[in-house]
Amino acid sequence: MKRLFILLLLVVTTLNASFSEDKFKAMIIGKVAKYVVWNKKESTPYFNITILNNPFGSTIDTIYHNKRIDGKEVKIHYIDTIDQLTQTQSDILYIPNSQASQLQNILDTIKGKGIFTISDIRGFAQKGGMLQLYFISRKIKLKINLESVKEENLNIRSTLLRIAKVIKEENE
Amino acid sequence: MNSMLIPFFCIIFLSSLHAQNNSVDDLSLEDMLDMETELTADVGSRSGAVSSLYSLSPTDVVTAQEIQHTGITSLTDLLRYFVAGFNAPETSVADGSDHIRAFTLRGMSPDQVLVLINGKRVHTSALLHVNGTIGRGSSGVDLDTIALSAIEKIEVLRDGAAAQYGSDAISGVINIILKGAEHTDEVSFHAGQRKKGDGRELAADLFVTKQLAYDGFVNFTLQIKQQEQTQRAGKDRRNNAPDYETHVGIPDATNIVALLNSDSELGNGANIYSHFTFNYRESEASTFARVKTAAYPKGFLPILQADITDIGLTVGAKGEIQNGYYWDISNTLGYNHIRYSMRDTYNYDLNPSPSSFYNGTLSFLQNTTNLDMKKHFNTIDIAFGLEHRIENYTIKAGDENSYFKSGSQGFSGYRKENEVDATRNSDAIYFDVKNKFSETFSMQGALRYENYSDFGSTTTAKMALSYFVLENFFLRSSASTGFRAPSLSQSHYSHTSTFNGLIEGTFKPSDEVARLYGAKDLKAEKSKHFTVGGVYQFNDENSLSLDYFYTYINDRIILSNEYELTPSEQNMYGINKVRFFTNAVDTRTSGIDIKYNLDHKFSQNATLKWSLWYNYSKNRVVSFNDNTTTRKNSFEQIDRMENGQPKESFKSILSYQYNKVTTTLNTSYVGGYRQVIDDVAYSFDAQWYTDLDISYSVTKDFHIALGALNLFDTIPNKWDSLDGYTYGYNGIKPYSRYSPYGYSGAYYYLRTNYRF
Repeated sequence: MKRLFILLLLVVTTLNASFSEDKFKAMIIGKVAKYVVWNKKESTPYFNITILNNPFGSTIDTIYHNKRIDGKEVKIHYIDTIDQLTQTQSDILYIPNSQASQLQNILDTIKGKGIFTISDIRGFAQKGGMLQLYFISRKIKLKINLESVKEENLNIRSTLLRIAKVIKEENE
Repeated sequence: MNSMLIPFFCIIFLSSLHAQNNSVDDLSLEDMLDMETELTADVGSRSGAVSSLYSLSPTDVVTAQEIQHTGITSLTDLLRYFVAGFNAPETSVADGSDHIRAFTLRGMSPDQVLVLINGKRVHTSALLHVNGTIGRGSSGVDLDTIALSAIEKIEVLRDGAAAQYGSDAISGVINIILKGAEHTDEVSFHAGQRKKGDGRELAADLFVTKQLAYDGFVNFTLQIKQQEQTQRAGKDRRNNAPDYETHVGIPDATNIVALLNSDSELGNGANIYSHFTFNYRESEASTFARVKTAAYPKGFLPILQADITDIGLTVGAKGEIQNGYYWDISNTLGYNHIRYSMRDTYNYDLNPSPSSFYNGTLSFLQNTTNLDMKKHFNTIDIAFGLEHRIENYTIKAGDENSYFKSGSQGFSGYRKENEVDATRNSDAIYFDVKNKFSETFSMQGALRYENYSDFGSTTTAKMALSYFVLENFFLRSSASTGFRAPSLSQSHYSHTSTFNGLIEGTFKPSDEVARLYGAKDLKAEKSKHFTVGGVYQFNDENSLSLDYFYTYINDRIILSNEYELTPSEQNMYGINKVRFFTNAVDTRTSGIDIKYNLDHKFSQNATLKWSLWYNYSKNRVVSFNDNTTTRKNSFEQIDRMENGQPKESFKSILSYQYNKVTTTLNTSYVGGYRQVIDDVAYSFDAQWYTDLDISYSVTKDFHIALGALNLFDTIPNKWDSLDGYTYGYNGIKPYSRYSPYGYSGAYYYLRTNYRF
C-alpha cells in the first residue's frame, strides 16, 4: 500500500477527458466541418447545421454557442422530419440512428442540395451517406464515401482522408 | 476494515488535487480520434448502452485493452484479477470441482450469478459441486469455455436483476460482449511456468474477421491451451504410504475453444445475428493415492479424467417496425457434457480388477427462446418481452465395474439407479420502463412473471432511482426481489457407492430414504435486494463511487448434512448414510464497494490509468428452516458459507503507457478465511498478491511482453495446529482448498501478439 501511495504523489496530469459517445458525435460535427470544402455559389451569413430528430438534448447548443466555422457564425436547426429541411438552409445534416429505416428516403430528399451528411447509422457510408461515425474500442472512427461527397459538388481535404477510412458504395 | 479504508481515502483525496480541466475547444480532430469515450454497459438496461459510471445500478466494465495487458488466459482468472469480491479458488482432490472451477460474487453461491454472452443467457455446467469446496451444492457456469481473445468487453452488474433477467441474477450479472465489426485479424502466443518449474502453460489464439456489407461481420476465434499440473503436496505419512504422490495443485488440462460471432443486414433495417461457442477439454487430476496392500504392494494413484464438451449457439434477428418499435427475436441453445473415466486405479472387489474404468456422464441442455420489444417515447423507454426455456439434465451410468460394490477407487462410477433424464420448462413475461423525469432525476421499474413446470410460478419486481445532486455528484438506489429456480441437478442428482455392503452418498430429495430425514421437493430461493450509493466525479479524470448492498435470501438450497440411518433402517433399505439437497437456510449478505478511477494523459505519448476497488461482503446464515439442519450439526457447511471466503478484498490496477512500453501492475489483497475440519475451524491469513506485465510494441502491430502473476510468490499459510495425515500442516494437503489464489505460487510468462 505504501508503494502505491508514493507512486500517486508523483502523478502530474493534463487533460484526458472522457466524454459520452453522444458528446463525441456532437463535437466531431464541427471538427470535421473544417475539412470539408463547400462550393456553393450563394454565400450565407451563417454556417447551418441541421439536426434531424435531435438525439443530443442540449449538448449541441452548448458546444456550438457563439462558435464560428468557415468564418461564419454557427446556427443550429432542429427538425423532426426530413420534409422540414426545406425551411432551412443547411450545410451539414446530422441523421441519427433512430432514422435508420428512413435513410434512403432522407438521402433521396436532399440529393443535389450540396449538404454534407453525417450519421451514426450502421452501413451509412455504404448506403450513400457521406461521413459515418462509429466506435471501436472506445475510440471514434470515421468512414467516408468519397463518391457521395463528390456527387454533391463537395470536397474533402486530404488531411481528413488520411485519418478516415474511405469506402465505396455497396451496389445492392 | 478501517485499516484498509484510511489509506484508500488518502490516495483518492491526494490524486484528486492534481487534476485540472482544459477546454474541449483546444482539441483537434486528431486529438479526438485518439481519445476514449466514457465506458458504457448494456447490462441492466434494455434501452441501450448507458454510462457505466452513472448507471442506475453499480456496473463495472473490463475492456479488451485491459484484458490484453494481464497475461491471463482464462476468463475465471481474469475476473478474479479485475473484480474485487470475485472469488475462484483453485481446488484439488475434489473430483469434478478440480476440472470446472466454481466462482462466486460477494461470497454468495456460484449459481447465484447470471452469465450472459451478448445479452443472452449462458447455460450452467452439468457439474454439481458436491465436495467440500467453495460453491458446494451448486452448478455454476463454466467460464473457461470462452476465449479471451474473442471478448470486446465484460460488464459486471453488481445488483440483483432477476426482475429483468429471470432466475440466478441474485449476486450479480456478468455480460460478456464479443468483438464486433471493424476489428483486426490477430494471432497471439503465450508460454509460462511456475517458479517451481512446473505448471507450464502454452496457449495460442487466433482471431480472424471477415467484413460483410453495411458493417456486417463474421468473426472466428480459436484458442488451444495446454496446462500442466502443479504439485504442492506434503509428505504422505500414512502407514504403508504408497510409492506415488497425491497431486495437490492445478490439474493437467488441454482446452480447445472455438467461437463464431456474426451480424449481417437482412434489408429493411433488420439484422440477423448469431454467436457460437464450442469447447472441448480433457482434464486430469488425481484423487488421494491409495496405500500399499498385499494385492497392490506399491499402492496406486487413481487419476480422474474429465472430458468436457460445451456448446452454445444463439441465432436471432432484430429490427424496427413502424412507429419506432424495435424487435429482437432469438433462440439460445446451450449444452454441457462431462464424461468421467478413471485410470491407474482398481476396484478392490474385483479380482482381477481392470485398471481403467468408464464412470458415467453428466449432461445439461438448455434452450431459451426470447422475444423482446422496445420503444422510446420522449423521455420514456419501455421494453417488454416473452421468454420460453426448456432444460434437460441427465446422468448416465458408468460401466458396471466402476460401481460394483466399492467401485473404482478414488471415484466410483454412477450406478444404474443414479441414472436420470429430467426435463422442465418455464415461461416468462416481463415489462421494463425507464423514465428520465428531468436532466437530474431518472427512475427504472421492472416486473417479471415466470412459471416453471416443476415448482410453480414467481413474480419479481425492481425499482431503481438516480438523482444528480450536483453536475458531478450522483446518487442511486435500487430495491428488488429475485429468485433462483432450483437447478435440475439439485433436484435430480444422486451418486451413491457401497461401503461394507451398505449404500451411501447423495440421494434425490424425492428419494424415499431422503424423505425419512426431512427431504421435500425443492422450491425456489427467493431474494430481496437493496442498494444505495453514489458517484462523485472530481473532474473528467477522477471518479469515486461508493455503494452499499444488502441481499436477503429465503430458502437457500444447500446439500444437507450426512445422516446415518438407524440399524433397523439400514436393514430395511440397505443404506448406511444419506445426504440430499434441501431449502435449509435463510442468509443475509451485506457490504460495500468503493471504487476509484483515475485516467490521466501526460504530454508526449504517456497515459496513466489507475483503478482502486475495495469490497467488503459479509455473509451470515440467519435462519434454519427445517428441523434437521442446525448450526451445530452442520457447522462445516454453515461456516463455509459465512467464513469460507474472504470478507475483504482490495485491488489496485495501475497501467502506465509511455511510447512503446506499457506497464501494468496489479496489487490484490484478500482477507482471511476459515476452513472447518472435523468440526474445528482453522483460520488462514489475509494475503497480498502482485502481478506485473511489461509489454513492448516492436511495431504498431507486433507486441511482446514479459510478466508474472503472483510476482512475489505469495503462498497461503498452512493449517495452523492441524496435524492430520491428509489435511494438516505436515500432511498431504498442507493448504486450505479455499485459498482464493491457490497455492501453486508465482507464474512467469512470455507473450506475443501480432495483428495482420
